[in-house]
Amino acid sequence: MTRRAVRGAVLPLLLLAVWEIVSKAGWADPRILPPLEQVARTAWHQATEEGLAYHLAASLFRDMAGFLIGATLGIAAGTALGLSRTADRLFTPSFNGLRQIAILAWIPLISIWFGVGEAAKIAFITAAAFVPVVLNTQEGIRSASTQLIEVARALTFTRWQMIARLYLPSALPSIATGVHLSLIYAWVASVGAEYFMTVGPGIGGLIIAGRERFQMDLVILGILILGLVGFLINFGASAVETLLSPGRPA
Amino acid sequence: MTAANVIAAANWPRLGLPRGVSDAGVALLVPLTLLGIWAASACFAWLPPQILPAPSEVWAAFLDMAQNGDLSRHVGISLLRVVEGFAAGSLAGLLLGLAMGLSPTVEDYVKPLFTGFAQVPTLGWIPFLMLLVGIGEPLKILVIAKAAFVPVTLNTLAGVRGVPSMYAEVGAIFRFTRWQVLRKIVLPASVPPIFAGLRYGLTHAWLALVAVELLASSEGLGYLLVWGRQMFWLDTVMVAMVLIGLVGFVLDRITAELEKRLQHWRIADGGEGQRA
Amino acid sequence: MIRLLAGLFLTMALTGAAHAADPVTIRIGFANVGVDNRQFSGGSAIATAHAEHYVEAELKDLPHVKVEWFFFKGAGPAVNEAFANGQLDFASQGDLPQVIARANGLKTRILAAGGAHAPMYLAVPPDSDIRSIADLRGRKVAIFRGTNNHLAAVKVLAAAGLTERDFQGINMDEASANAALVTRNIDAAFGNYGLLLLADKKLAKIVYTTKGDKPEFERQATLIAAETFVTAHPDLTQRVVTAIVKAAYWSSQEENREALFEIWSRSGREPSVYRADFADQPLRYRNSPIIDDFLIEQYRVQARQAKEYGLVRRDISVDGWFDTRFLDVSMKQLGWEKYWTRYGADGKPLGGS
Repeated sequence: MTRRAVRGAVLPLLLLAVWEIVSKAGWADPRILPPLEQVARTAWHQATEEGLAYHLAASLFRDMAGFLIGATLGIAAGTALGLSRTADRLFTPSFNGLRQIAILAWIPLISIWFGVGEAAKIAFITAAAFVPVVLNTQEGIRSASTQLIEVARALTFTRWQMIARLYLPSALPSIATGVHLSLIYAWVASVGAEYFMTVGPGIGGLIIAGRERFQMDLVILGILILGLVGFLINFGASAVETLLSPGRPA
Repeated sequence: MTAANVIAAANWPRLGLPRGVSDAGVALLVPLTLLGIWAASACFAWLPPQILPAPSEVWAAFLDMAQNGDLSRHVGISLLRVVEGFAAGSLAGLLLGLAMGLSPTVEDYVKPLFTGFAQVPTLGWIPFLMLLVGIGEPLKILVIAKAAFVPVTLNTLAGVRGVPSMYAEVGAIFRFTRWQVLRKIVLPASVPPIFAGLRYGLTHAWLALVAVELLASSEGLGYLLVWGRQMFWLDTVMVAMVLIGLVGFVLDRITAELEKRLQHWRIADGGEGQRA
Repeated sequence: MIRLLAGLFLTMALTGAAHAADPVTIRIGFANVGVDNRQFSGGSAIATAHAEHYVEAELKDLPHVKVEWFFFKGAGPAVNEAFANGQLDFASQGDLPQVIARANGLKTRILAAGGAHAPMYLAVPPDSDIRSIADLRGRKVAIFRGTNNHLAAVKVLAAAGLTERDFQGINMDEASANAALVTRNIDAAFGNYGLLLLADKKLAKIVYTTKGDKPEFERQATLIAAETFVTAHPDLTQRVVTAIVKAAYWSSQEENREALFEIWSRSGREPSVYRADFADQPLRYRNSPIIDDFLIEQYRVQARQAKEYGLVRRDISVDGWFDTRFLDVSMKQLGWEKYWTRYGADGKPLGGS
């Protein structure tokens, strides 16, 4: 086990070493390849003086807002599409059509429709978060066991009881998958929103500022944070997903 | 029984149309209604024209671009970029996935770095690469390649790993050489998952193309979006959006069809049958 | 009974008073932003008004009225998005985006000039072989689409026999274009203050400017307002215009030249940048808030040429767009009717001022 850990560390460490050597020896433009301590120093400076935590909080807040709205709407829409054959036949084709349009391609339209400010960004993130939840919820509702449905009918459940006590619980693993994907998409969308919509606080804004000022250390810092948050979100979502899907075949 | 249950349980009369036709009809109901509302809204100016141009204007913009060659130029360059980037990225992904799948040593060394690399979304890599390689064609190809690389590697790895061990045992019985094992057992068995990976890779490649063209381009469909937005030509924006959706859809359909053709190579064990 | 009526009266009076004191926020935007996102602008009397708080001073006696200032990295197009969504009341914006918005049906009024008669520049890396507009053929050029720099660039290119198809035009905002120029990711860039800043630091050289070239290449910019705000709050609109006129007066006096550039340098651009841009031109000419026949004619020309070059799809009439009432009142109030020269539609001064 530890041998694997050691092996795994070789390449990253090698990469860092090469980087350090190249930047120190001056073979590369220091703006493009800043020495590692420069990145660390920038990170420290940002964290202590430029309100890095504030930027991160702003990005996360936007992310969560868009995600919660999108996921909630997604579960509602997915349930409706899963329960009603008519709704499915009416709306799913159009939805699938709209879904084909790459999410980033919606940004100019959303910008023109929502203007400047947070509303536009949150609308975009909501749209990104909505899609995977709808699809997975619908699938989960559809795959509710027919035996259970018969039992519920025999027990004369009302519509709402059916939804609350039968459909939603049995769709929970699928919904969990949808929510997991939604969290990831929402995070990527919130960074995308910061790139293409008006400037506001956020990690995306930090990366863009780094590119404009030609400060690679800022860009690298932003990327590291991006990856780290993405990883944590993914990790957390996986954990929750496993929690909600007991006994699900691997 | 409540009213809702009664209604739900009732037998609704069938329309009497063949299933396919009635399906298509119902599917078109919502888009056509929206189109109608859209046209009416433009006619009666329910919304200011800068928020919603008339459908006729969008159509006119489309025809205009198709006629003066702009359309084919932009679609062409976007497709070219995707093809080049996807080819590069998936080749690299296939090789790495195979290497990692076949050799646990390689996997031990490479996987952690790869995972870290994969954690950063394509959008995050774009500004980094912009600083490194500028904003010309190499940037686009690199970004698209990266986007395709990750899913192809992962799925290739999973595909190679997913070959049941008894197949390897059969190879041992026949005293296959390494090369023969690869050619006759591993590769054919892992083609379906690899192909799934290629399909994901193409989807991601197309998404990455849109992203990079939005940020730094002088032609292409993403560029059309930017241009339309700057000039407040919502009709151009919409045409570009529809084209992006259409091309993305067609690309996916082609790969889906190819995937279907390769189904007969899928491993069916224990009578589980094949997934359509 | 009397008590009831008194109570009713009191309530009505109070609500009436409360209505009169309904909090209003005036949102003013700039179609540019300072270096590194500094919330300051430069190059116009409106920028002076912001930096020196002229508008707030004018509204001192109305505590329920607040002013919010916005700076848009996305320049004119972003200002349009804000106007289109009712998120802005006033803006300092250039001619092309204003014309574009009008072509799209946006209801606005132009109230005063601000940053009009401005030059546009073409910059290249210091060792570039590009010497003139004609050398741009086939090169990578940064051009911020939808801004008044764009229209000026299109005209200048046309004069040299080039269209946008003859080179690779990449849409970039000022900061991106600057960075790309420095790192030689592009061969040239059209712009104004950002490029002057680079030239000042010897990171780029200016190979062409519309200054000294034909006057029809000039870029115009004005104070524009949302029609809804003007009709709803004519009193507040008047005060804003008066504040701008006062700032324009101060910004037009030659003895304030250096101080003016200092104020504008809060945007992160050295005073030398503005000194170069305003060289050989009287402050009175550049910072005049007057809407005269010349300006109106310029806008008519911009609108026509925007359509000619395919930048807008329909004909735009400038009739009814300019609202000089507020300007006239301010001028009369402050006694400055004769201070700035009015130019006729042919570009010649009227009344031999």
